[in-house]
Amino acid sequence: MVFVIRRIIQSLVVVLVMSLVVFVGVHVVGDPVHILISDDMTQEEIDRFIQRLGLDRPVHEQYFHFLANAVRGDLGNSFVHGEPALKLILHRMPATLELAFAAFLLAIVFGIPLGMYAGLKPESPASRAIMAGSILGFSLPTFWVGLMLIMVFAVMLGWLPSTGRGDFLTWEGLRHLALPAFNLALFKMALVTRLARAGTREAALQDYVKFARAKGLSPSRVVLVHVLKNILVPVVTVLGLELGGLIAFSVVTETVFAWPGMGKLLIDSIQRLDRPVVVAYLVITVLMFIVINLIVDIVYSMLDPRVRLKEARA
Amino acid sequence: MSAAAQTLPLAKAETPFRRLAREFFSNGVATAAFAVLLTIIFLALFAPLLAPQNPYDLAKVTVLDARLAPGAHGSAGFVMWLGADGAGRDMWSAMLYGLRISLGVGVASGAIALAIGTAIGLAAAYRGGWFDALIMRLVDLQLSFPAILVALILVAILGRGADKVMIALILVQWAYYARTVRGSALVERRKEYIEAAHCLALPAPRIVFRHLLPNVVAPMIVVGTLQTAHAISLEATLSFLGVGLPLTEPSLGLLIANGFEYMLSGKYWISFYPGLALLATIMSINLVGDRLRDILNPRLER
Repeated sequence: MVFVIRRIIQSLVVVLVMSLVVFVGVHVVGDPVHILISDDMTQEEIDRFIQRLGLDRPVHEQYFHFLANAVRGDLGNSFVHGEPALKLILHRMPATLELAFAAFLLAIVFGIPLGMYAGLKPESPASRAIMAGSILGFSLPTFWVGLMLIMVFAVMLGWLPSTGRGDFLTWEGLRHLALPAFNLALFKMALVTRLARAGTREAALQDYVKFARAKGLSPSRVVLVHVLKNILVPVVTVLGLELGGLIAFSVVTETVFAWPGMGKLLIDSIQRLDRPVVVAYLVITVLMFIVINLIVDIVYSMLDPRVRLKEARA
Repeated sequence: MSAAAQTLPLAKAETPFRRLAREFFSNGVATAAFAVLLTIIFLALFAPLLAPQNPYDLAKVTVLDARLAPGAHGSAGFVMWLGADGAGRDMWSAMLYGLRISLGVGVASGAIALAIGTAIGLAAAYRGGWFDALIMRLVDLQLSFPAILVALILVAILGRGADKVMIALILVQWAYYARTVRGSALVERRKEYIEAAHCLALPAPRIVFRHLLPNVVAPMIVVGTLQTAHAISLEATLSFLGVGLPLTEPSLGLLIANGFEYMLSGKYWISFYPGLALLATIMSINLVGDRLRDILNPRLER
């Protein structure tokens, strides 16, 4: 319990630090008038705006003003859409989450069996091919893989649509989801494969595996029950931490496949200088990150008490 | 350790650099990757001499050649083996110039980040105390967010332009160097030669730069190579997304982005070949870096 409270306090500190970073970035490094006011306002409107935002007041007062507004969920209106920036982001969030979770599932479903196979038969040609593939998965730039997927599966073979999103959990929806989800999953798949391989190699030498084998269990039972159970914890923990990474990287995949999520909105907003939306995206993403990290840490400490004890000693 | 100490006097004197080279080239994949990397660097350095066309000289480029397929004869009289892009530029020439920009931005930002990260990492390890704690908290905080997100935040705040992208890449990377250098320097600091240097009352800068720094160079080289590949990939991604380098600095990422619209109509070469060049660059650097890590890290079994 002490551990959980400590981690929550740490997370709150990070939230405060990040709010300071965003504030300093927007209000001090950049010119706030330039960043928060669209170019087609008249001088009179600008003056009113400056007064409304309190930009004529001292810096520390401005910061508290910004914080108070952020806590109330008021992060300004989009210049382009004229709606509250926060609403726009939240409206796009389900599409991004759908993509991220689909990629997450793909990474597990493909990564774990491939990694376990490579771990059980490290010298076989297939295992070498799997490991070479995982190096490729790490090196290939995500956006280029996306382009190649479009070229092969949409343009040449014509099997799958190249852009847009269908309805959730319909055949059309799944067809639209397939390429972007695979694209986003590739990097994590390589990671899971490596983790599962390392875990399997380590577990295969442990006494409990030898014992399971010695008492005459079938090889498939040893692998699927005894080994799998023990490598699942580290793999899922690392993947949990990487879920935030999936959401961040979806910016790239969403742009390639014109997937209508938050990431595409961010890029469009940066290009159109729609700054309130950019700030809102940052606030939301940072919050999501901190919450995911917090949950993973707490779950991990439940699964593996050593983490909790180490932290308590430090 | 004792076995090595016994055999060392018998072995021929070999400089550390020679030993590194011998072990490096004993691996076929790493040697091939090194050769590819050298070729790429050569192509990038001498792009203006090697390219059949200056793709950004408007007098040399004609729209008549736009989207010519690979192997077609351009109107300037030479064969465009890799085809032409939407503005009629020879793809091979555009790629050589793009490679120059991509490598330049990646290496320059990597080098500056290396210098800054090393200085901060060394200072943190040597000073210790609150300074160390503060720096490491900052590093942990930054590294808990993916590099692409940090880079996007930075370009969103800083705005567009080659200098802004460089600043963003440096700010993204310094933390990796700082963490690595600090970790190694902390280990070295406890060793006897540093204690001896302290006993001689050498000034702190001399201890840090003459004694500590040379002993943390090995991990710096490894992280430096891998981070350079990362920086090149990140710059290409930002440029592809349209928030990186401006159109006047056409890196590989921008070339790929330019070809994107033609890809749907089956004109694959405008995106495909710059992508291959980018892939070859990143993979060769990664393979060289992996090999260096295997050699320079004595804890890993070979």
